[in-house]
Amino acid sequence: MVANELIEECRNGDLHNFRKVVEKTTPIIFQVAFRMLGDEEAARDIVQDTMVTIWQKLAKIKTADSYKTWVYRIAVNKCYDQLRKQKRQKESRYDDQAWALISNHLSEEGITELENRENARILSLLTNQLSPKQKAVFVLSELEEMNAEEIVRITGMNRAAVKANLYYARKNIRSLLQKYI
Amino acid sequence: MKMREENDRYKKITEILRNSRPEIKRPEEVENEVIRRIQRESHKTGRVSEFIESLFGWVYIGWVRRSLVGVAAVIIAVFVYQQTFIFRQVKSISRQVVISGNQRSSAPSAVLDKKLMFYKMSVRLTPEGDISISGRQLEEFLESYNDLQLKYKDLQRLIEEDPELKDYIENKLSQEKKYKPDI
Repeated sequence: MVANELIEECRNGDLHNFRKVVEKTTPIIFQVAFRMLGDEEAARDIVQDTMVTIWQKLAKIKTADSYKTWVYRIAVNKCYDQLRKQKRQKESRYDDQAWALISNHLSEEGITELENRENARILSLLTNQLSPKQKAVFVLSELEEMNAEEIVRITGMNRAAVKANLYYARKNIRSLLQKYI
Repeated sequence: MKMREENDRYKKITEILRNSRPEIKRPEEVENEVIRRIQRESHKTGRVSEFIESLFGWVYIGWVRRSLVGVAAVIIAVFVYQQTFIFRQVKSISRQVVISGNQRSSAPSAVLDKKLMFYKMSVRLTPEGDISISGRQLEEFLESYNDLQLKYKDLQRLIEEDPELKDYIENKLSQEKKYKPDI
């Protein structure tokens, strides 16, 4: 992800090298924040906040090897805060255009790639009823393809909680797909 | 059959979402903004924030850290309040005359009442917070008051026994009343 030497130099306060770290870390943070929040602008804000926090806490990181997990943890926690500010929708609004879009993609042969706008719309529709924890576990497990051990380290939940949150997230999304498609 | 269809839909939509990696537009803008914010923050960081950072830097969740700082501030405020206000009150209580249990049981209640009355009077007459009357002074004051009362009673008795003296005093008093100017 980012070379250990580069992180070591940044830990000594080298802001010039930190720009390189920002360049390499930004896409990862943006991806996870975008998938958790389903909003491009909010994800950009999370990237900025996370990178500033990383700079402030870089001296505290024990080993440069744990950098990736550490970055994910900070980004996910910032997304939690953002999601807590937003009010979760109890009932999914029926967005017929968005459901038609999902239906089209499902009926197509092969796997299509979505643009940011479509991606955000579908993510929001499928996950707006999930709790922040369920969202985090769903994104890390199903979209970022992380194993349970990594998710435990990032979210701070125990293994059973990770499994339970993933189970409920899947169940909720499946029931939505069954209901509207 | 229905269950399998449901699973297939779920798998396909998650695969589509997984393959559609969101791309950040104009990443250099974000990079510049991050560097700008870091430079700005480093100017702002004073000794207070460094102190807070050293105490609560281990907390990553923003609202938990803010709550901890708030609780610490409240504890410090309560401590300062206790040290100034309550301590001052305790000090003023220690200055007041203490009547111990033994004294209370041996002394007649009328004497105690008088003591308290004199004490209250002395508090009222002197400016607040500047009370300097000792227990001994209070005792002396009480004794002279009792003497005065006894002498007054003797005088009253003498006047009652002598009608001429009584008439004379009454005349004098009524004359004094006549010449007393109206205020």
